[in-house]
Amino acid sequence: MLLNQYLLLAAALFCIGVYGVLTRKNGVMVLMSIELILNAVNINMVAFGVHNAEAGAASVGGAVFALFIIAVAAAEVGVGLAIVLLIYRNRRSINVADASLMKG
Amino acid sequence: MLAQVATPEVPWSLLWPFLLMALGAVALVTITSLVTELRTRQFPSLFTIAMAVGGGASLPYIWGRIGEIPERRILVLDGAMSIDYFTIVAAAIILSAVVFAAIFLDDYLRREGLDGPEWYVLIMLSASGGLMMAAAEDLIVTFLGLEILSIAVYVLAALHLRRAESQEAGFKYFVLGALSSAFFLYGIALVYGATGSTRLSEIDAALFATNARGLVPAEDSSMILAGMALLLVGFGFKVSAAPFHLWTPDVYQGAPTPVVGFMASAVKVGGFAGLLRVFLAGFGRLGDDWRPVVGAMALLSIVIGSFLAIRQDNVKRMLAYSSISHAGFILIGLFAAGSRNAEVAQLGTRSVLFYLFAYTVMVVGSFGVVTLVGGRGDGKHDLSDYAGLAQRSPILAGFFLVLLFAQAGIPFTSGFLAKFGVIQAAVRDEAYVLAGVAMVAAVVGAYLYLRIIKTMFFSDGAHTVPVAAALDTNVEATPDGAVIAPDEQISLPPAAVAAILVAVAITLLWGFAPNIGGDILRDAAATFLR
Amino acid sequence: MMVSQTGLLFGAEAAEAVSFSLLPALVIVPLLTALVIGLLPSSRGEYARLTALVGSAATGALSVYLLLDFDASDGGFQYVVAQDWIADFGLSLQFGVDGISLFLVVMTGILFPVGILATTAEHHPKAYHLWVMVLMAGSMGVFMALDLLLFFMFFEIVLVPMYFLIGGWGHGNRVYAALKFFIFTMAGSALMLVGIFGVVFLTARQTGVVTFDIRALAEAQALTGFESRAVLLAFALAFAVKVPLFPLHTWLPDAHTEAPTIGSVILAGVMLKLGTYGFLRFGLYLFPEASYDLAPLFLTLGVIGILYAAIVATMQRDLKRLIAYSSIAHLGFIMVGLFALNSQGIQGAVFQMVAHGISTGALFILVGWIYERRHTRLIAELSGLQKSAPIFAGVFTLVMLSSVGLPGLNGFVGEFLILLGAFNDEARWWAIIGTSGVILAALYLLWAYQRVFHGVAEGENATMADLKVSEFLSILPLLALIIGMGVYPKPILDRIEPAVDDLIAHIEANVDGFDEPEPDVPAEHDPRELLIEAFHEAEASHAESAEGEGE
Repeated sequence: MLLNQYLLLAAALFCIGVYGVLTRKNGVMVLMSIELILNAVNINMVAFGVHNAEAGAASVGGAVFALFIIAVAAAEVGVGLAIVLLIYRNRRSINVADASLMKG
Repeated sequence: MLAQVATPEVPWSLLWPFLLMALGAVALVTITSLVTELRTRQFPSLFTIAMAVGGGASLPYIWGRIGEIPERRILVLDGAMSIDYFTIVAAAIILSAVVFAAIFLDDYLRREGLDGPEWYVLIMLSASGGLMMAAAEDLIVTFLGLEILSIAVYVLAALHLRRAESQEAGFKYFVLGALSSAFFLYGIALVYGATGSTRLSEIDAALFATNARGLVPAEDSSMILAGMALLLVGFGFKVSAAPFHLWTPDVYQGAPTPVVGFMASAVKVGGFAGLLRVFLAGFGRLGDDWRPVVGAMALLSIVIGSFLAIRQDNVKRMLAYSSISHAGFILIGLFAAGSRNAEVAQLGTRSVLFYLFAYTVMVVGSFGVVTLVGGRGDGKHDLSDYAGLAQRSPILAGFFLVLLFAQAGIPFTSGFLAKFGVIQAAVRDEAYVLAGVAMVAAVVGAYLYLRIIKTMFFSDGAHTVPVAAALDTNVEATPDGAVIAPDEQISLPPAAVAAILVAVAITLLWGFAPNIGGDILRDAAATFLR
Repeated sequence: MMVSQTGLLFGAEAAEAVSFSLLPALVIVPLLTALVIGLLPSSRGEYARLTALVGSAATGALSVYLLLDFDASDGGFQYVVAQDWIADFGLSLQFGVDGISLFLVVMTGILFPVGILATTAEHHPKAYHLWVMVLMAGSMGVFMALDLLLFFMFFEIVLVPMYFLIGGWGHGNRVYAALKFFIFTMAGSALMLVGIFGVVFLTARQTGVVTFDIRALAEAQALTGFESRAVLLAFALAFAVKVPLFPLHTWLPDAHTEAPTIGSVILAGVMLKLGTYGFLRFGLYLFPEASYDLAPLFLTLGVIGILYAAIVATMQRDLKRLIAYSSIAHLGFIMVGLFALNSQGIQGAVFQMVAHGISTGALFILVGWIYERRHTRLIAELSGLQKSAPIFAGVFTLVMLSSVGLPGLNGFVGEFLILLGAFNDEARWWAIIGTSGVILAALYLLWAYQRVFHGVAEGENATMADLKVSEFLSILPLLALIIGMGVYPKPILDRIEPAVDDLIAHIEANVDGFDEPEPDVPAEHDPRELLIEAFHEAEASHAESAEGEGE
């Protein structure tokens, strides 16, 4: 397959993720959208890594980077879910639109 | 026979500050789980301060080690991190922010009835991320640093369990932060694809190679430009530069005040350190492409920070907008630092470092005052809560006065010379529009600080007399007969007051004698010169 | 600490040591005094005034010593102190005085101790005197700075103590007045910073050296044409706010009226002079060509100020506000003198800056005392004070006549020289219009005097206490100066003249086709002799009138 096809898939996932973050009201859905973006990056990274290796570079940086991203994403979602849980305990709602104590 | 595995050599002594922060955090959480009675004492705070001071104490030694090498930089961990003068200066700023945060947190947690070493653990972890960003020579390391820095602060922002605003702030910060991190990552991916490497020196070399051939393949060039733009989004979010500032007022308002002080200082410094290193060492050759964007962001930040602040009535929100405008001023310095002219570039980097140091001191001092004024429940942050502060707590009002004037850029404070430095760098770079708008906006911005000062000193609050004066500490009862209710008394923990005093003293000292440390900044600013 | 330093300066140390440290001492002594006041125990607030008095008097003594030690024949800067500051930025700590700034420094040195002596803080004496001493340090610095940025820093830092003095110890709508004052001036100085960057870096582009040294910049004269006019206008806007020139004056009546007495004294005496001094030092000296080109503009604004302020002053109901407007008119005269661009005009302007500082300062002190006694400044509520307080009335007459410009008093010398200089081929018409301002000044001041001091004394007016001995003694130095400078201005003019002549030579050297405009007075008449003649003519009548007012 061409490199472009991977990149297009990644770009599509990225856009879906951004759209989700911007429009979803449910906190958990927002977290999932963020995951989607990170996975788009992973596809990119691996695709570029393979592409670079074919071009003669000895580096496996792309794949390694993807591993890092998976680990970080896990940590991020862990923290995110914890915060959503806290809000739920205080408010019995995980609707982002309800979080509007501060305006200005 | 044992097989040899090739591992990069780890020069532990050079990583001392970073290790102290990262391992110190682990150690603290371990110790306090084993010896639970230490949790509520001052131990966590003292431990954190000891770690930060220990890390700071090692900096002169590392400085000396760097000085032994002609290139003035030591690449460690197989070139993933660069220990150079710039790293040391950034580390010094971040570590001092940690010390201040630990001091303010101690009193804050006691007052709020919150316990737990977790706050300190997270502060140290976050600082270790900042140190990583400052030293990172590889975009992977930059990203890891950014995430360590941020995730800890997301938690810190939400950690005041009884304040709903705190969790809301944490969640907002988290969502937007994670989004910006994702943009940042996507940018790294594109840069990696375009140049075949995530190592800054190799990116630079790749850009040089394409330029040397006189041909930049169209797809590569557009890819690297897109990558740079996305990286800028990520950094812009961390340093709260417009147009990526939208989270700032809400998060500053909601998050626990000492954490906001840390956010405004260490997180911002870490972000700027990474931004400088990536854009100067990695994309330095593309200065003509990114500088206009950085300049536009700078203008937008300054204008938004100065003008939108006017209609705020919450002091924490006001300071949030002021931090946006400060970010704009620092970006002006970055704009100049990207110049092809080596002299201007060095001046620009130097002015950024001076600004970061001066700003950190001012802002931690300011949020120290806000922490104390906030009172039990961390809720008294309305402008009206500052009415007559000069009567209730002349010392605090006097300190805040100096710090606010410094932020406004009044002469004979470090804030003036910081602003002067970046504007001068811009003028030397012949960016007159940037300099002119910055100066006009500085006047508008001054109104914001003046409003707080006016409220503190001249306002006719219900509990105050009209006229107040900073240094008359003998005012107890108010002549109009209003008695200050006991819960209105602002408690002044000695450690916190001493910390604010230090911030004020540094602010004034640097206003009079900015040459102190000037050589250090000059050496550090030379790091990115080719 | 202060005493030992003063002792050192006056001791038998080498003269060089004195000249080296004298000017910084003028800034440092008040600053140290402020520090001492700040460190006074709160229970001992009453010592604040004493400390401030000692500190300001020591500074004043130093400034007088400077005056005596000053080399009158030298037109350049003396006692120059130059110290590297932030070398990377091209900044240096440079102080120096010439015949122009010398008298402004001395005036500052005299006005502060007198002002502190003549007024008392209504509350919070510690903070009050602390701010006053910070103000003194800043005012001294601004007249002595030879580095553009240093000048700017002093120029702006004086806002802070003044803001607090007006806002904290003023009357009526004081917070609004303080804020207006701060914002107006700060906006002006932001533009000046733009101008500073402009001149420094446009010069650096030609010479390759980044320096904020005023003398080096004036020597280089790197800016021409549009550039220099634009930069001058940036400076001029900041100074025009301070002076204040006509459309930018609106902060002044508010600030003056609401300020406590010492605030008004220093505002009128010292801070307004920052504007005119700025025009002189940074307009004429740094940008001679642009100043020459734009002179008609400044002359026009000056003349408008004279007439406008005079007319508005006539209608004022508040005595303090009236004096505030009279300040605008006087400063308009100074502008006319400066931009007459000849030796007589500029000398007169410098002299008038000092004279106005002293006489208006004295007027504000006197009005302050009236307010202390009667708790009103409204002219309508005051009447017949001459009967209840004859000595007060006599002193007021003297000071007011000096403000009117009566020959034999200090106000006359400056105005005379200004008009003499302005009656030349280039500025004649402005001079003619401006002269009517002299008549208007006499009108509104005398009318106000008549309403306040003559007439029937009723109620509280009848029982108003006369001048106390302590009050009389505190204002005596100013009265002495009013008469002394009027009767014998020669020593002052002798010291101003070389500096002004150097300035004129500097302008002639740098402006093509500029020739110092000769006054209309025939050349065979030495203006000095005219002055003395006019003085003798007036002496007789003045002596009569002063006695007639019943001192």
